[in-house]
Parts: sequence; structure tokens; C-alpha cells
Amino acid sequence: MNEAANTIPLLLPHSSMSTESNKTGSWRFLRPLYDEKTSPCSAACPAGEDIARIEMLAAQGMFKEAWETILRENPFPAVCGRICPHPCETLCNRMEFDEAIAIHTVERFLAETASRNDLKPALLKLTAKRQKIAVVGAGPAGLAAAYFLAQLGYYCDVFEAMPEPGGLMRWGIPLYRLPFLALRNEIAQIESQGVHIHTGQQIGKKFLQDARNLYNAVFISCGHPRTVEIGITGEQISAVENGLEFLKRIRSGESISPDGLSAVIGGGNTAIDVARSIVRLGGKALILYRRRRRDMPAFEDEVQMALEEGVELREIVAPVKITEESGRCILTLQEMKITGEDSRGRANILPDEGKTHELHVQHVFKATGAGPAEDWYNPTEEPGTSLALTNARLICPDKGPVLVFGGDLINVTKSVVHAVASGKQAAMALDIFFQDGIEAIVPKLQACLVGQGPSLSMEVYMGGERRLINSHIVKYEEINTDHFQFQPRITQPRLLREERLMSFEEIDLKISTNLAIREADRCFNCGICNQCDNCYMFCPDIAVIREKGCQKRHINYDYCKGCGLCVVECPRNAMTLKEEEL
Amino acid sequence: MKRVIEGSHAVAEAVRLARVEVISAYPITPQTHIVEILSEYCAGGTMNARFLRVESEHSALAALIGAQSCGVRTFTATASQGLALMHELLHWTSGARLPIVMAEVNRALAPGWNIWTDQTDSLAQRDTGWIQMYCEDGQEVLDSMLQAYRLAELVYLPVMVVLDAFYLSHTYEPVDVPTEEDVDRFLPRYQPRFQVDTENPCAFGQLVPPSAYMKMRYDIAGAMEESLNFLNEIQKEFYGIFQRRYEPVEAICCDDAEIIFVTSGTVTSTCRLVLQSLRDKGEKVGILKMKLFRPFPVALVREVTSRAKKIAVIDRNFSFGASGIFAQEVRAALCNVPEHPPVFGYIAGIGGLDVTVELLAEVYWKTKNTAFPEKESIWMGI
Repeated sequence: MNEAANTIPLLLPHSSMSTESNKTGSWRFLRPLYDEKTSPCSAACPAGEDIARIEMLAAQGMFKEAWETILRENPFPAVCGRICPHPCETLCNRMEFDEAIAIHTVERFLAETASRNDLKPALLKLTAKRQKIAVVGAGPAGLAAAYFLAQLGYYCDVFEAMPEPGGLMRWGIPLYRLPFLALRNEIAQIESQGVHIHTGQQIGKKFLQDARNLYNAVFISCGHPRTVEIGITGEQISAVENGLEFLKRIRSGESISPDGLSAVIGGGNTAIDVARSIVRLGGKALILYRRRRRDMPAFEDEVQMALEEGVELREIVAPVKITEESGRCILTLQEMKITGEDSRGRANILPDEGKTHELHVQHVFKATGAGPAEDWYNPTEEPGTSLALTNARLICPDKGPVLVFGGDLINVTKSVVHAVASGKQAAMALDIFFQDGIEAIVPKLQACLVGQGPSLSMEVYMGGERRLINSHIVKYEEINTDHFQFQPRITQPRLLREERLMSFEEIDLKISTNLAIREADRCFNCGICNQCDNCYMFCPDIAVIREKGCQKRHINYDYCKGCGLCVVECPRNAMTLKEEEL
Repeated sequence: MKRVIEGSHAVAEAVRLARVEVISAYPITPQTHIVEILSEYCAGGTMNARFLRVESEHSALAALIGAQSCGVRTFTATASQGLALMHELLHWTSGARLPIVMAEVNRALAPGWNIWTDQTDSLAQRDTGWIQMYCEDGQEVLDSMLQAYRLAELVYLPVMVVLDAFYLSHTYEPVDVPTEEDVDRFLPRYQPRFQVDTENPCAFGQLVPPSAYMKMRYDIAGAMEESLNFLNEIQKEFYGIFQRRYEPVEAICCDDAEIIFVTSGTVTSTCRLVLQSLRDKGEKVGILKMKLFRPFPVALVREVTSRAKKIAVIDRNFSFGASGIFAQEVRAALCNVPEHPPVFGYIAGIGGLDVTVELLAEVYWKTKNTAFPEKESIWMGI
């Protein structure tokens, strides 16, 4: 039977010829390209940090490289990882999928890992230039400017009136938000780049004349350390203290015990910092804010924690008079009424006539806004050419060094990361000015924008790999979410409320390496190739080539027939499909 | 050794005895018991086989196409929607001449959802180039499975062994489970005439011109026809070892029968009871049990029905817009026979409705009392 069966005809098509002879690339009319794009977080970061890449490197356990990637754009990862309002997270594409990446948590982890292991960053430094630059004020803007200028090859002297550098980071932010060591390490890192900091050096206006022969430029970044007057009766009495001054006294090591109830006037981060410091020092704090809670400029998270810690908040009320009576303050409070909302959604308010009452407190703290310590710190229309940039203002007087104003003096949003943006812009502008003249500044800065700006990239300016990134900002719709799974955002471990009240110990606790990697791994890595190899796996023509020892992929156009599968299956829009030119 | 086992387990025992090396299946009621026990056999070492858990029936058969191409004996089982999902690859299996064996448990197609027996799922695959065998009891299931491998590997065509849901798949009956030695004597190791060989790489099943394609189809048609002869030879060998044999059709009391029932699956057993009681009353009735549906045993059908006056086909299936499928096939087999008896088509037991002794008796009297079928299909029990 088997023999008979063997005679049954069995015509089957088969071929031993290799299909390599069929160069399917000749069919192509669309061409896939590796085309890395800009992530929305990096464009949203005022310092223009390459966040998608930082998360990728962190997820791969390349912590030093990830940290250096931050340092190329921002010398303050330990600080910003803690106190930055992280606008990056607000625009995170992952937010539309489940929750935004905790970018700041990963940033802080990277800075801490670097510091714990005493890592030294390998950063590019350009050849020395002959110009010397003075920086007035060693706050975040001044330090950032000096840091970037040093990298660009300039000799920098930073002058600081206070006995230690750091500005508001050192004297205005309570330790429970920013521990001393985190700041000190980063300033030391800046100094190691060749920045010379001279503390206890009060700079007067005369310096600008004296500097003529010593410096080619002066960067003025003295910030806003002075609390602005509210303009009410009794504001001057001794029981009324400036919020910033109070914070500075605490950070100077003074022993203070604000017994009894303290009223804190204002709704910004300073008001919150003052109130939370008071409760830590054994007092009671009541914040008085003239608008609603949701209108407060303070970070919502901080407001929430303040309330948890026992700080009280009274909204839609404004003090109109302060009097003193037998060592106590009597505040006359005017109730306000809401008449509508402005374009930003903030309440418009008017006094609710007739509705006033008195409040008896032990102390009053003003935290209603700040201004520069001296008038000359505000840029005036000096004779000479003036150039207003987004985060800095350049003035070229007829005589003397070029003046650049930056930091809180110029920035609309007063934050550390905006100060870094200002310092960076000033450093770039000065370099362009010295190399190519004032006219070149705007176009050259334009070429260094992250996405559509206004953030600038120093890495791009210095000719790094990042200059190849397409400025297109990746949208959520461009992410292939089929390749991602829901995973909740890391929960920041914190001190218990009871623990917080006992000291100025940092509230946000450290996270483990595992948790940091897991959080970084949630990142879509919008627009950048993280070598996931989907393109390689999905290519029906085996035309995606991975070369040994090379992180990058490339396409063998002899066989790529332009089906576009690789582009569609790229989870993060790191590829583009272009029409072939005929 | 006789054991009391389910029809499903009769399939599984045959797969074990056939020394199948790759099993790939996706569970679906009422097929589940088959693959459940096989997965235990694979996990526990009773069988030296790989059990592939796949994500669909389409993948189940695709995986077997790959495995069988490498020269190993394979098995899958499915039912209803599962078989429908395999449809594309059913064509591929026969086109690639891969002797894959499948157990198909007849189950109604949705909607409405129905897990009970109905032959439309397997009969709807009649044009895919698979040999189809319909079974009546647990013993026939086990034996047909062994014969299916033998036949498939001779003619290079896939075989579907079909059994009724629950009436057969989930019913315990005494089944003689043969020894491994006996089965090894009957079923030699699979030694294919062609297989994928990594030492000699080549592409299979690529583009062919129409002339070659037509020749390939002609070969399949030829192999289908040849399989009837091989099946006959196989019965002799099988009988020699196991003392049991099965014909493509079984003629029961047909020699003098005036009315012949045409049945398939477990309905045949019920019909045997009806036959007994009608014969006791002196009625000249017979049964033509259809075991083999593909290839359709035209000559045997013609021969068995040659002396009958009427034919009553029981179809537990329906081809919408036409008629019961067995009735269609019987009509087609007889249409070129001059003066052939009229064919009455009865539709019964759709979606698992019980086909009772009473119902079949009613069919008999209806056929006897009507000279000529008034309709192509008479729906019973509606």
C-alpha cells in the first residue's frame, strides 16, 4: 500500500533560490526615516532639559549619563527635582493615557545617585576665550549664567552679598523642601567647572564704572529679596515682619519661637513657606488671602500639605489696617466679593462694603510679593543699544562693559528653573555678542530653541547630538499606545504629618533604584529612539539593520519597499515616512 | 482493554496511541475535554509531545501547518466558530498536502449562542479539500482517528474526524482501547515525501502560474478519489489487527428495503431502534449510514439505493437557500441514474434538538404515505 501511495502525484511549489535577488526597494514610493523629534516635556521645561532621553537613560540604568544629560541644560537637578513647579509634567503625553511621569522624582533620584557616588560629570568645555565676565548675585540665575559661561570658555567672577551663595535657594526656601546638602553639592559642582564665587561682596552701582577695565560684561541677577509694601495703615509697626526676612532668619540659624497665632498675608509660595515654618517652630499660622484658594499662586501640593500640617487658610479677605495693643496685633479684615474672573480664570475682587471684622493675633507676616533690593538693579533705558530677550535684557552702553539683566529682575515667573533659563540665555547671548555681534543674537538663539521655544538648549548651541532633533513636538495622537500598558505613577513617599511638625527634616523621602527605574520606564520617550526594536521586528523585508555595538538602527533601502509598518509601529514617533523624490 | 470512556477521551486515546508529536488547540465547548486530557498527557509525560497553547483556532491550525511541514505528526480539535475561524487555513492545509488530522465536534453556529450538536459547521467546510469521517459511537471515534492518520499520510490530504456534541463527545461508553504495540503495527512512523529541512533551505507554497495551479488542484482531486481505494485497503489491515472494520457507508437491511433512511452521526443509532420496531411490523425499511462524506462515496450510495423505492435523508444541518446537505449530495449522486428513487429531505435535530425514535418513525410514515416529495426539505419538530 505504501508503494502504491508513493505514486500519487504530489506537485508542490518550492524554490531554493534566495529572495535576496528580488530588490523590493525598487517598489518604494514612500521612504521611512529615523527622525527623532521633540518631546512636549522638554519643550515645556524652561531649562529645555532633554527629558525623554533622561528618562530613557534612567530606565536603562545609565544613571550617570542621564544625570549628565540634565547637567548639559541645568546645573541644578537636585534643587529642581525638589522645588521646581515641573511644567514638564503638566504637558506629559502620558497624562492622557494614565498619569504623567513623575519627572521631578526621577530628576532628584539621578542627582542623589550622582552625589552619593561622588560622580564627576564629563561635560564639554570649549576653548578659553579672552573676555572676562562678572556676575552680580549668586542666586540660581547668576550661578547658571556663570556655569554656562565657564563651559563656553569664559572666566567668571560671581559676587554675592550674603556670606554663602545660593540666593533664595539658600536663604528663602525652608529646609524641609530643600535640604542644605542638596544645594551645597550642586554649587560645588558649578565651582568645579571653573566658576569663582566671592561671598560677602556687596556690589554698588559704582562697580559698573570700576569694572570697566576688569570685565567685558556684567550679568546682573540680584533677584527680588525685598518684600513689597501692601500699602495699609500700621504696616510699619514692629510686630509686622517681612516673610522673606523671617525665612532668612530661620535659614541663618537664629532661634525663633513665634508663639501664639500668626497671621500670614499673601497667597504665594513665600506665604506658604512662612506659615509652615511657623507651625514647625511651635506657633499657629493663619493665611489670609484676598482671592480664592484656587487662585493662589502657591503650588497646590504645598497648600495641601500646609493645611494637613494644621495651617489655617482664610480666603477672600484682605487686611486693611493693623494696630498694636498691649503686645498684640489687631488686624482689621475686609471681606471681599468676587465680581467675575479674568482671562486666566483668576477671581476679580472688590471689597464687600460694610463687612469688616477684627482679628487678634500675636504676629503678622507679610508675603505679598517681592522686589529688587536696590533700584539700579532694574534695567533702565541706558544710552546705547538695548536688546530685550525672553528671559534677559542686554544693554550695551557707550562706555563700560555690556550689561545683562536676568533672573527675577526680568522673569515673569519667578522660579529656579526660570532663573536657569535666564542664565542660559544670557550666557548664549553674550557668547554670540562677543563672537558675532549683537545682530547675530536673535537668529542664533532661534536656532537653539527646543521645539517652538522659548526654552533654549545649550547642548544644541555647543553643537551636540541634540542639534539633529526635529523641532516637531510629539502629540499624544502620534504615540502608538498599543505598545504600552497602564501603570500608575509612583507615589512619592513622605514623612508622616506628625513627623513633619517636629523638625525641618525633608518631607519627600528618597526612593529606591527599583522604583526610579520603574517610573522612568513608564515614559513614552516621545520622539526618541530607545532601541525598542519594534521597527526591526515588524519589518516584513528584514530591511531594518542593527549593527553590532551600535545603538542606532538604519534601513537597507535595497529591500525597504516603503510599506511604512516601522513608522506605524514605532511606539514613540521616532520615525517619519516621507514621499520619495522622483 | 475495554474501558468506559467519553467520546472525547476516545479521541484523546487515539492521539496518544498515534504518537502525535505536536498538538495545537484553542479550547471551545464541546471540544474541551479532548484537549484537556491531552494537555495532561503532555504535561505528565504520558505523551512525548509539544502542546502549543495558541490565541485562536486560526493560529492553532497555522502552527500545525508549520509543524507538519517539518515532518512531524500533529493534531488539533475544534468545533463550530472555531472551525469557521480556521477556514482559510483549511484550504491551505490541503493545498500544501499536509496530512493533518483534526477532531471536529459538531456544534451549532451562533447566533443565538448554542453549544449543542448540529452538522452545519463541518459540512460547510466540504469544499476545503479535507477528508471527512462522521462517527456513530466511541469505538468508531477511536478507530476512525487511527485510520485517519493512516489514510492522511498515504494520500497527503488532511482528515477531519467528526463527532456529535454531547451525544457522543460527552457520553461514556465501553471502548476497546488497543495496546500501543498493536497500534504501532497498524500505524507506522510518519515518513513524509517532503519536509522543511534547515540543511537544505527552500521556500514553500510560493506564487505559481495558472497551469501549475490547475495541475495541483487536479492532483488533489485525484488523491481524494484514490483515498477510497486506500481506505478499503486500510480496513483489511485494521481488521487483521483489531477485528473491526468500517465501510465508507454501512448498508443496514437495505437488500430488500423499499424505503431507505440516510443517516449520519449518532442519529444512526436511534434509527437502528426504529428500524427494529418497523421491521417487527413487517415494514421493509433499511438504513444507509454515511460514514465518509468526503470523498463522497457516490458508487456505494448508488449501489445501496438501487433497489429502493424511496429515500429519506435525515439532515441535522441546513444549507440556506438549498436544502439539507446530505440530501443534496445524495440527489447529486443519483441524478445521472435513470429511474432513481425520489429523495425526501428531512431536517431534524437542528441546534441539538432531540431526534427521537418517535420522530424518525413519523419520518418513515410520512415518506411511505407520500408518493413524491412535495418540498425539497421537510422540517421536523418545528
